[in-house]
Amino acid sequence: MSIKNSVNISLSVNGESFDNVTVPTRQHLADFLRSQGLTGTHLGCEQGACGACTIEMDGKAVRSCLILASQANGSLITTVEGFDDEVMEKVKINFLKHNAFQCGFCSPGMLMTTKEIISSKKKLSRDEIRSEISGNYCRCTGYQSIVDAIEESINEIN
Amino acid sequence: MDDMKVNQNPKLGSIDRPNSYIGRSLPRENAKKHLDGGGQFVDDLVLPRMLHVAFLRSPFAHAEIKSINVDEAKKSSGVFDVYTAKEIDEFCKPWVGTLGHLGEMRSPEQTPLAKKTARWQGEPVAVVIANNRAQAEDALELIEVDWVEKDAQVDMETALDENAVIIHPELGNNLFWTRTVNQGDVVKAFEESHEVVETTLDFARHTGVTLESRGIVADWNKAETKMTIYHNGQAPHMMQHIIAKHLDVNEGLVRIVSRDVGGSFGIKVHVYPDEMAVAAISKKLGRPIKFIADRLESFTTDIHARCHKISGKLGVDKEGKILAMEINDLSGIGPFSMYPRTSAIETNQVLNLSGAPYIIPNYKAVGTVVFQNKTPMCQYRAVGHPIAVAITEALIDKAATKIGLTLDKIRKINFIPDNAYPNKCPSGVPLEDLSHQASMDKLLGMMNIAEIEKQKEDDLAKGVLTGYGVIAMCEVTNPSPLFYGVGGAHISSQDGASIRLEGSGAIHLSSSITEQGQGTEAIMKQIAADQLGVSMDTVRVTLGDTDATPYGGGTWASRGAGIGGEAVLKAARTLKNNILDIAAAIMQTNKDTLDIENNVVIRKNGEEGISLQKLAETVYYRGHEIPKGTNPELLATASFLIEGIPFVFTNSAMGCHVSIDQDTGIVKINKFWAVEDCGTQINPKLVEEQIKGGVVQGIGGALFEECVYDDQGNMQNATMADYLVPMAYEMPDIIVDHVTTNSGRSIIGAKGAGEAGTGGAPAVIMNAINNALGKVGSEVTSQPITPEKILKSMNKI
Amino acid sequence: MKAPDFSYYEAKSLSDAIKFKSQDDEAVILAGGQSLLPALNMRLSSPSCLIDISKLKDLSEIKLDDNSIYIGALATHNQVMDNSIIKENFPSLIEILKMVAHPAIRNKGTHGGSIAYGDPAAELPAFAVANSAKIILSGLNGNRSVDANDFYLGLFETDIQPDEILVGINYPLLKSNEKIVFEEVCRRHGDYAMAGLIAKVQINQSVIENIILVFFATGDRPNLTFNTSELVVKNGYDYSSLKKSLSSEIDFAGDLNSSPPMKLHLATILIGKILKKLEN
Repeated sequence: MSIKNSVNISLSVNGESFDNVTVPTRQHLADFLRSQGLTGTHLGCEQGACGACTIEMDGKAVRSCLILASQANGSLITTVEGFDDEVMEKVKINFLKHNAFQCGFCSPGMLMTTKEIISSKKKLSRDEIRSEISGNYCRCTGYQSIVDAIEESINEIN
Repeated sequence: MDDMKVNQNPKLGSIDRPNSYIGRSLPRENAKKHLDGGGQFVDDLVLPRMLHVAFLRSPFAHAEIKSINVDEAKKSSGVFDVYTAKEIDEFCKPWVGTLGHLGEMRSPEQTPLAKKTARWQGEPVAVVIANNRAQAEDALELIEVDWVEKDAQVDMETALDENAVIIHPELGNNLFWTRTVNQGDVVKAFEESHEVVETTLDFARHTGVTLESRGIVADWNKAETKMTIYHNGQAPHMMQHIIAKHLDVNEGLVRIVSRDVGGSFGIKVHVYPDEMAVAAISKKLGRPIKFIADRLESFTTDIHARCHKISGKLGVDKEGKILAMEINDLSGIGPFSMYPRTSAIETNQVLNLSGAPYIIPNYKAVGTVVFQNKTPMCQYRAVGHPIAVAITEALIDKAATKIGLTLDKIRKINFIPDNAYPNKCPSGVPLEDLSHQASMDKLLGMMNIAEIEKQKEDDLAKGVLTGYGVIAMCEVTNPSPLFYGVGGAHISSQDGASIRLEGSGAIHLSSSITEQGQGTEAIMKQIAADQLGVSMDTVRVTLGDTDATPYGGGTWASRGAGIGGEAVLKAARTLKNNILDIAAAIMQTNKDTLDIENNVVIRKNGEEGISLQKLAETVYYRGHEIPKGTNPELLATASFLIEGIPFVFTNSAMGCHVSIDQDTGIVKINKFWAVEDCGTQINPKLVEEQIKGGVVQGIGGALFEECVYDDQGNMQNATMADYLVPMAYEMPDIIVDHVTTNSGRSIIGAKGAGEAGTGGAPAVIMNAINNALGKVGSEVTSQPITPEKILKSMNKI
Repeated sequence: MKAPDFSYYEAKSLSDAIKFKSQDDEAVILAGGQSLLPALNMRLSSPSCLIDISKLKDLSEIKLDDNSIYIGALATHNQVMDNSIIKENFPSLIEILKMVAHPAIRNKGTHGGSIAYGDPAAELPAFAVANSAKIILSGLNGNRSVDANDFYLGLFETDIQPDEILVGINYPLLKSNEKIVFEEVCRRHGDYAMAGLIAKVQINQSVIENIILVFFATGDRPNLTFNTSELVVKNGYDYSSLKKSLSSEIDFAGDLNSSPPMKLHLATILIGKILKKLEN
């Protein structure tokens, strides 16, 4: 069955090159990544409201369900599978320590938002941390342990 | 991680042992994969020749389906086929959501796809099978349905009126179920009361909004006549039976696999028509079929819960002792009772649990449950508790004001005393091992009410409205067969654990309890390693696979730790015993001189022992070295169930402090406290996180969440942006502490802890808000308590 | 929810995009996509083609000249918030943008996209009206400039012609006696407001000489008031008279979170809130 409208894209994901891949024009970036086996990026709403699909594109946190794969041509993407630098390793240790996740479905997006918080180098209060993660829905934790983990990460790293 | 308060349950052995893990807040090493993107959720699964489905759903709350034309849809690009009820019914038998133990209960047969009539907006009527979801959705637009819209019964309060729209003509009216509880003589008791207070509260429909939506991959293997279902459900063995029964498959050849689940909260413990249709399609086609509910259809097809209007009356004597309580509860469900647990349970728990912490000699409770043309309703975290606790605690606050007692005093004089167990709820349900007095005292110590009261006056002088509330509650946990099995449901109350020592010295454990993020795997590991005497990393766990785990009930009603944990404890002790038998034979000594520590069978006198690895190697590879007559069984299985009582209850005391902006009506929760007595805590951090997460979910119901319907039965806010779930900024930090009264029903003494937060938060928040509004002579009685409702109560709108 | 099928065209230049748009009245412009993609994913919109202008770098410039600040349509919200010209000359815009959605959305959502979309509950359209901004449109016949006050014609209806693309917005620089204040009431941080107010005030020694009041999330477009503004200048804050005036000037439209009477009440107290803000 042919795809009526398609586009060829080339991009880099977690350091891996995808060259001249044909994607349906309507396919969003989250679905593209998941179709390539990078299933760490999750879909919670496809509306941009829950934050589960948040990834890093060209150095910035974005909602991958609100970007067409077509738009990612030439981009540098990092997903949760590629969060393995020293800073993120420390963050993950704190997330584990504070049990800042239960089912784990929100975690990839939450970690991406945390990555941006840490990169900003700002020392945030708990209220300010809550404001920064206010676009990431978590149904399990009630957010407190996530704030604990981010607070400790900020203190440790910045 | 700092160790939190270490469990003091003496039945579990000394806490000074090197492998003392029970009671410690160990991090969940097995869950670290979620931080690396390594979760295995249903939508992550890709199988060869897998097809995807999308459902055409009724846009009407009530409509006749005159005809469905799928010809154009079938020709759409990427489509394999399109089915209606005709094709699906050949492969799936209908079901009825009733049980036999709750009195008369009427619900008609339900099929996966609607046949001649659609009875709720969202009910599936046709299904497209295609190469991918996008192409399936394209085809949906080409299906032509000749709808004849009918009047819908949307208002539960008029559902039993003369001119109501009768949803099922064969039933004669819209009554699904009713029950009356009558203890003592409330009429007489109210006459004798010094003060009588009344109120009517209403609670809006809302829903679970699990971040991972419902999903299923059904894979019928024709050659093996085996059905494998990958499902993000909570009760795999229940599903195994249901799939076998309705799809006519040998139950032993149905395998249900539940890997990682992105939140469940009861939403994923029910049987959904669209999921049954998927299994039927796979059986018909002999190919894997995947269905993942998208967010829009989740809102209109995941079960809803908590739509109640309840009136309550409380009579107290001169001293404030409660003489009588009466409640009358109305709840509206969908057009069918959900299968197999029935949509009566929520109301039943309201009737059973209202007034539960207190001595109330005269109690009458009437519950009425009616059908509506809305999304079906069923059990969702803290089933019925939010309503039961809210009505009870609201009446008690009112009585306190009338009599002139403080909020804590009136509760304390009415509590069932901590030393008066076993006892009973006002409804008659048995209670054991509770600590309302100690828990309330602990809560009061945390809150410092004197200071809050003083602050309240200062705040009011500055024009800031603040208030506080305290509540007490009981939570249903660890249910026995008297919950579902007794009524005919194939839902197991008994859970099992299997544990073995392998040739490498590794320990493998499997349990019939399932994991949805609460930490099932972690606590099972802790129990096994603790009772065996091995290090945590020696143990690996298998859950969620009916082929590979013992038979059992799964995770719901906060039963994992108390029931599943006890089975693990028993199995681990049996294995330890077997190991020591073999070791004694090999080491030619008395078993009493041995123990296991850090994976080594040690001699208590300090002389050289034998590692578990070496012992296992001997047993498996060099069995000839073992003395004759020794029974070298390095495998043990044990099970556990609660007997004689319907549930093991826990108790909590909760408090909160709120501020209300008098201009905008916005409520801020300044502080929230919870004291939980759940008996032995296997991992205190995980218990604390259940309380916190549960409280926030309760805040959702109290202040934000509501399924908004128009008068045609269309849900108006069925998107993630419009349905308001709690997000981080508005949530408070929650302070949790504990009292510990171990359950006498098991060695491990653990009760459940998963639902108290959600059960109690709505009540204490409403009471705190009314405590504040009382200062300006107003009150709210409707949840969610929106800014508009607050301003309306103050006559500002 | 998967989007319906459409074709995709990456514009090579502004004129290229204009040409393409004018030839297909079912084509839509893709800039940040933060409003368009949800609509597509929910199948609320089925365009024939998406014309992607997001890679046209020169449309994201932020410039300062003698009497105005120019914000290019493709400047993302975060780019605007991080920009030194904005920080120095227009700090109120940064405070307002903090209320818009969440950081990840702001990394993609564009200034021009929000202005062009014209969601009546959004802050930026009201901000443009309050500042009497000039909206620059570019079409087959060249550029034209539209007063923000004349730009919003109805619910999601603007003056953008079929061949036009919004390319930038000119904001007059604030004079030394001018201030922008804003307040909004929302259920959750980052949500659309239940009601919001952006005010441009001329103050002389703590006396308000002139005040422009633009409400959002109140009607079908930014609601600019006249009589109410005069009353504020004349009498300061008086709840009942301002409420009466607002109810005659604005056709309040209710939504899921607040009914028309609620919005009327909130609009009134918002005036009080911004006046308090000015005092401090």
